[in-house]
Amino acid sequence: MNKTLKLSVADIKIIFRDPSLKSFVFLPILLFALIIWGVPPLVEKYDLLTPYLSLFLVVAVIENTQMFCFISTMALIDEKETDIAKVYGVVPLTKTEYIFSRFLIPYLFTVLLNVIMFTVQPLFEISFGTGILISCLAALVVPVYVLSINSIAQNRMQGMVYVKAFNMLVLIPITAFFVPENIKHLFSVFPTHWIFQSIENVTMGKDMTLVFGVGLVVFIILIWLTSRLFIKRHFV
Amino acid sequence: MIQVENLNFTYPKNDTSTLKGLNFEIAKEEVFGFLGPSGAGKSTAQKVLYKILRNYQGSVKIKGKNLSEWGKEYFEKIGVGFELPNHYLRLTGKENLDLFASFYQSGERKNLSSLFEMVDLTDAMNKPVETYSKGMKMRLNFIRAIQHNPDILFFDEPTSGLDPVNAYKIKQHILDLKSQGKTIFVTTHSMETADNICDRVAFIVNGKIQATDTPQNLKSDYGKEAVKVELEKGFIKEFPLSKLGENPDFLSFLGQGEVKRIHTLEATLEEVFIKVTGQSLKA
Ligand SMILES: Nc1ncnc2c1ncn2[C@@H]1O[C@H](COP(=O)(O)OP(=O)(O)OP(=O)(O)O)[C@@H](O)[C@H]1O
Ligand SMILES: [Mg+2]
Repeated sequence: MNKTLKLSVADIKIIFRDPSLKSFVFLPILLFALIIWGVPPLVEKYDLLTPYLSLFLVVAVIENTQMFCFISTMALIDEKETDIAKVYGVVPLTKTEYIFSRFLIPYLFTVLLNVIMFTVQPLFEISFGTGILISCLAALVVPVYVLSINSIAQNRMQGMVYVKAFNMLVLIPITAFFVPENIKHLFSVFPTHWIFQSIENVTMGKDMTLVFGVGLVVFIILIWLTSRLFIKRHFV
Repeated sequence: MIQVENLNFTYPKNDTSTLKGLNFEIAKEEVFGFLGPSGAGKSTAQKVLYKILRNYQGSVKIKGKNLSEWGKEYFEKIGVGFELPNHYLRLTGKENLDLFASFYQSGERKNLSSLFEMVDLTDAMNKPVETYSKGMKMRLNFIRAIQHNPDILFFDEPTSGLDPVNAYKIKQHILDLKSQGKTIFVTTHSMETADNICDRVAFIVNGKIQATDTPQNLKSDYGKEAVKVELEKGFIKEFPLSKLGENPDFLSFLGQGEVKRIHTLEATLEEVFIKVTGQSLKA
């Protein structure tokens, strides 16, 4: 346990020595500002936006996860390109411990960002507990995203291309908000759909247990699958 | 300590195998070397042994136990000096070593300052690795491999990229490690390194071992057991080594004038390599 914690902390230290990654920390601050001061006057001015209010929250939640998606993706690709990944292949650390320690802080930090988001957003009344639950689910995007890209991208260039593609991919299920109710679950092939639906249900005062539960199972399976793939590719 | 039988390995995307039935063993307190040209499969063989490459065929036993039966505790016992430097460039040399040391059970670790001193990196210890030269990074690789005091060491081209002085020092350190009882497996395409430090070398070409023996035996098997004497006057003559001191021809030849030079006619390891494998090391 001690060694995984040490690696988690070292990981953050390494990231913050890299100026190009450090700057991404400002993304969430921008998001908070938009949600607190940007959205309310906008909705007040344009009435037609009111039905889509929950959409603003959905986008904010998913964008909060994108900071560490990018940072961790790049940190791991860099590690592979510089062959440091090989060193992790020959230390007494299981691959599971390795993955756990690399995602511990990014995960917890992303959860925290969204908990703050749910607390400061002036759009809906959402209980603290529900905010935490949804934040925990949404932050699972980080490991799935990072492990997927790092299993397929061979280098930094390809990594950047996949990052662009994945940024779109996580947003695609917002389309479900614009289609008739009976076909919206067509988007359930996109894992983030279940996060979005959980948020929508909560903002409409509906029960989210089912969609939340499905989302949790989907993400746990995805983490397991992408980890297998990642372990096969990353350390060679 | 290490026993390898009929080891075959094929990279997933390749049609032909890279390692074709390797057999060798390495004893405790032995420096064993793979000498061969680029692409022979030296690094591949080591990667199989330190478990970065899986799905090999054949039998690999470490301390009598099948490689596949070893779990993560295997990595407590081995140290790997990689072929190319691989460090976090933005961390200092010390931070790099501290990070990787943190994964091992504590207590066994060597003193960090003396490690840096050992490879003349004391001044660079607290500087970011991005300010290091290639040779400095390679020396950092070397001390990272040994800092947790492992029993078995893999060094992939330990002297490549080093100037002669530092190469000499690294070779001495490898010999020191041997005298501390370590089992050491090096790869090299430098016949000089092989000759200097290996107790036994295996010639490897195209994934096959062509000969395994002590450098001394290889050289004398393929060279002449004789000395060549050259006098200042220009006379040159060869004499067999056996009973040289009692050889009247030799003694009288020496009496014929000032000796310009005397040398033995054993082959260099490189000449032996070419004779055995039909290939040059530089190919
Ligand atoms: N990841 C890989 N995928 C496919 N083929 C590989 C891979 N790595 C090495 N090879 C091939 O395997 C063969 C042996 O490579 P290896 O790196 O073991 O050689 P080597 O003896 O260490 O050479 P060098 O002296 O240049 O380090 C080469 O033909 C190489 O092209
Ligand atoms: Mg090699």
